[in-house]
Amino acid sequence: MKNLFSLLLLVVCCCTAFAQQSARVTVRGSIVDTASVVMPGATVMLLTPKDSALVSFGRTSDKGTFEFRNMKRGPYILKVSYVGFLPLQKEFTPDAGDITDLGALKIKPIQKELFEVVVKTARAPLSIRGDTIEYNASSFKVPPGSSVEELLRKLPGMQVDQDGNIKAQGQTVQKVTVDGKQFFGADPKLATKNLPAEAISKVQVFNDKTEAAKTTGIDDGKREKTVNLELKESHKKGGFGKVTAGIGTKERAQVRGNYNRFNQKEQFSVLGFANNINQTGLSFDDYQDFRGSQSFNWQDNGDFGFNSGFYYFGGDDGNGIGIPINGGNSSNRGFSRNYAGGGNYNYDTKKTKLSSNYFFNQTGQTFDTDLNKETFLPNGSFLTLEKSNRSTLNNNHRASARFEKNLDSLNTLVIIGNARFNNGTERFSSTQNFFRGMSRETPSSLTEINNRNSFSAFQLASTAIYRHKFRKKGRNFAASLSYNINDTDGSGNQQSNNRYFDDTTSTGPPASFRLNQDNMTSSLRNELKSSLDFIEPLSKTVSWETFYNFSFRTDRVDRDVFDVSDQGRIRNNSLSRYYTNDFTYNRIGTSVRYSNKGLNVSGGLAGMWFNQAGRFAPDQTASTFTSVNRSFFSVVPNVTVYYNMKNRNLNANYNVDVRQPSTADLQPVIDNSNPRFIREGNPNLLPQLTHRVSAGFNTYNPGSFVHFYSNVNFGYNINQIVYNQTVDERLVTTSRPENIDGGKNFGSYLGFGFPLKKTKATLNVYSSLNFGRNPTYINNVLNQTNTNYYNFGLNLDLTPSEKFTLYPNFNWNLTDTRYSVNKTQNLQIYNFRYGGDLNVQMPGGIYFNGRLNYQIYKNEKFGFNQQLPILNLSVYKLFLKDNKAEVRLSAYDVFNKNQGITQQAYQNILQTEQVQTLARYFMLSFTYNVRGLKSQMRRNNGW
Amino acid sequence: MKKLLFFLLIFAGIQARAQELRGVVTYEYSQDWIKIASRLPYLSLDQKERIKSTYKNYTGSKSIMKLYFNADQSLYSYESDYTRSEDGRWSWRNSDYVIRRDFKQGTRTEIIEMLGKTFIVEDSLAEPKWKILNQLKDIAGHVCMKAETDDPIKSQKITAWFAQDIPVSAGPEMYYGLPGLILELDINDGDVVVTATQVELKDVSKELAAVKKIKGKKIKAAEYDKLLTDHIKTAIKAQENPYWTIRY
Repeated sequence: MKNLFSLLLLVVCCCTAFAQQSARVTVRGSIVDTASVVMPGATVMLLTPKDSALVSFGRTSDKGTFEFRNMKRGPYILKVSYVGFLPLQKEFTPDAGDITDLGALKIKPIQKELFEVVVKTARAPLSIRGDTIEYNASSFKVPPGSSVEELLRKLPGMQVDQDGNIKAQGQTVQKVTVDGKQFFGADPKLATKNLPAEAISKVQVFNDKTEAAKTTGIDDGKREKTVNLELKESHKKGGFGKVTAGIGTKERAQVRGNYNRFNQKEQFSVLGFANNINQTGLSFDDYQDFRGSQSFNWQDNGDFGFNSGFYYFGGDDGNGIGIPINGGNSSNRGFSRNYAGGGNYNYDTKKTKLSSNYFFNQTGQTFDTDLNKETFLPNGSFLTLEKSNRSTLNNNHRASARFEKNLDSLNTLVIIGNARFNNGTERFSSTQNFFRGMSRETPSSLTEINNRNSFSAFQLASTAIYRHKFRKKGRNFAASLSYNINDTDGSGNQQSNNRYFDDTTSTGPPASFRLNQDNMTSSLRNELKSSLDFIEPLSKTVSWETFYNFSFRTDRVDRDVFDVSDQGRIRNNSLSRYYTNDFTYNRIGTSVRYSNKGLNVSGGLAGMWFNQAGRFAPDQTASTFTSVNRSFFSVVPNVTVYYNMKNRNLNANYNVDVRQPSTADLQPVIDNSNPRFIREGNPNLLPQLTHRVSAGFNTYNPGSFVHFYSNVNFGYNINQIVYNQTVDERLVTTSRPENIDGGKNFGSYLGFGFPLKKTKATLNVYSSLNFGRNPTYINNVLNQTNTNYYNFGLNLDLTPSEKFTLYPNFNWNLTDTRYSVNKTQNLQIYNFRYGGDLNVQMPGGIYFNGRLNYQIYKNEKFGFNQQLPILNLSVYKLFLKDNKAEVRLSAYDVFNKNQGITQQAYQNILQTEQVQTLARYFMLSFTYNVRGLKSQMRRNNGW
Repeated sequence: MKKLLFFLLIFAGIQARAQELRGVVTYEYSQDWIKIASRLPYLSLDQKERIKSTYKNYTGSKSIMKLYFNADQSLYSYESDYTRSEDGRWSWRNSDYVIRRDFKQGTRTEIIEMLGKTFIVEDSLAEPKWKILNQLKDIAGHVCMKAETDDPIKSQKITAWFAQDIPVSAGPEMYYGLPGLILELDINDGDVVVTATQVELKDVSKELAAVKKIKGKKIKAAEYDKLLTDHIKTAIKAQENPYWTIRY
């Protein structure tokens, strides 16, 4: 299409005042270059001089002419732009006539080197503002460690001579400023010779008024060539810190503080706390302040492949190696004294990320416990009343380091190391009275226990992960290698006195049995793991994953038990053990994944092979060892579906969990630390398999804020690890883990939330149901414990104003437990919770917070009815500039009702436990935060 | 006070230039949630700095957008209705977002999913009030000039870089009306950056003519603006990030 004229309709702004007639003018002119050659196709813009607002625009004709018709009369800026030329700017006010001819306007080419280097090659914004030229420093490569002087030498239009004198566009630079300020005296060379080039983000060159003119305020018309250096954000440093100290009644006290220093690349922080108000770990905020950019790391798991058949350790193995976080809540059990402190350093660039930290904590805890436990047997039941005291002191030194390197755009390496050295002591004393049946009149036996233990342990968990992306998009390879070690030495002394009042086998005084034993256990566990993973895209929507996991673990445990008597220590060969266990695990699997149009489906199969080879004897010098060699092979499927639709999503999963028995369960060791409840290990245990199917559906309407969540899941256990019990005539329980099939669980969750009144009131209701069946053998009789759990609750968020918020919550919970072994013991436990959180802003910057948690425990069968209203109140005031300081008066457990009660029904046991814990106290605390504090009127909804 | 203006544009003998005035631009749309969070008035400095320091290595999300244009029309939307993760193993739905402009007739048709619904805004064009600045920079091989405007509803500072050598008024997102094609758009100093990665000058009449059927509620521009204003006000009051549910 060739158009001689084209009409372009431009609506700049539609307003009314069309009426002002003769206020119209036509502006015309032409554009030529420095050689007076006409410039067709140049962009011509009319701007208002006041704010450079665009009024109209067009392009020059083939004769280089332009014309703006019917323009409102007034001053304008005419701006001309053309590729390769300096933008031209001309201010004018139209003449009196109807037509203003600006004549031939000359545009100058941008210096070729400036244009090529700065605008084209370096892809850098070159700013030409009046006579200021701005260079983007990062676009000009200088060797690391260079001074600004060397950077200036690289800039087009700048010259630096041997003595460091600077010339810009041929003129000598008289002044160098940094962020607009003079840099140590008047010599411009001082800044350029001393500042590192990498600290500079921009270099600006312009003509500035003289210092004399600036100080006197009289413009003498003289201008000095000035260079201003703008510092990078990364070279602007920051630091902040926070400290809280409080003192209360009943000798309660707390102090905590942290300090952070950071710039763009580095974060450094230290943190410490001490308290006796049961805060054993960090709050999430403190944790994030401490760990900074390394608070959360995804993809640090070296175990590749789908979940099915992936084997993980249950129980206590491998826990506690990370920094303790408890969300800033006080524990509701016992009393504790806590001390902690540590430091963290992070270094982050696009290519390299390094983090390391050290953290120490000491926790001393005391538990005074009243336990009321009923145990059901096929032919009756018995009752245990126990009063016990446990005090522990644990020290943990933790160190961790993480290194991530993007070797290039296709290769990444991550190395993680976590180590913990810990030691601790424990003292435990207890008095247990045993009653046959439900009678509490005459005890059938009495046991007193007095145990002491100490241990020291070292753990290390290290992983290296290498990931490679192939040039073919979607083809990926990953390999990982892990080495873990756990070396623990423990020793203990166990004393107990057991008296059996109704023992019919003896005559005369009650049969009694004393135990006084020393034990020493040293255990060493080593584990080597490796995984490989390869993903091949088969098409745009289908990819195929293949993985292999390997693990080899060896346990070596040497336990020596001695009977202590007046004659000295005699080795107890029935309780002493030396054993080794080697576990080999291999899994190979493959899966196909389809991802298209919001639907993501994957399905696969894996074969897993597991072998355990152990040998044990009373002593390592024993001539005969008992051998255990067990292995099994299983094919496990895995299916996942995730479908993302408008305002809703659907998910479904089928997988098989494999749970490796804990070390304590596997070891052929008899733990008689409680002589009335003896735990035996079982070296023949196999891993537990759980087939699990789950499905969920969620909708959320962001317009009406209505949301709905639902989930159902079903699990079926094969080789479930259960604790079979045998109770002898004397009511001594022996518990031994065994594998059993047939345990299952069905669960569901429904949640629904909607605003009653937008921004003022929101209601959330939810309900969960859970039906579980767990088999166990009690005195060799199979017992099925059916536990039905019904839960319903609602939360209300009332936020009527900025000065008043209230968050009531209600929860009703029924646990219905049925024992097949003894139906008369079936029972229902009710737990009700009514809570609320009230915030009020009062005049004078004073805030009030009240928090109620009213718990009711009911068990009609046992006539148990506990009502525990726990009320916490606090008043606080923010002060100083930016609310940097806070003073707070708090009352904890105003009604003095905190009793640490828990009630549980499981297996063949119903128990109520009461642990003495922090009850009513008052505390006055002071907080100072450099970044300022905020009233907690609202619950944080996330950001 | 500005008025309705007519401007006569004269091209003489600019051969083939008219043919160059059509094509397709591929943009990379990147959004920095951390920067956006740090503007929320209800978060304290402590919270903002914590968010910044914790998530500094995971700041943004990216998607690919396409702009089809000729001298009279433009069509801007996601490259596809679904986004696929970089490794190809995840696919998720994109919100409806189709911005259509007709410069000749002065009309716009915008299909925008927000607040859980799809709206179809049909109205006349209302051109942003641009200021022209002096900076130059090269984007996808085109030298661009800087212009600025602002969005009074979302209180955003908009920086656009328009090509000196593609004299078309089209642009990405809701922006247009400059003497050249907008190749980069920067909302609030980097909260959102839409940068052209490829500019292809070719015939796109088929793409411009294709009309995808999307159901939605038809509203006028004023109603749409009111919806936005109300939502932002309500969300801030409820201490929720308004931009989780509307486009930034």
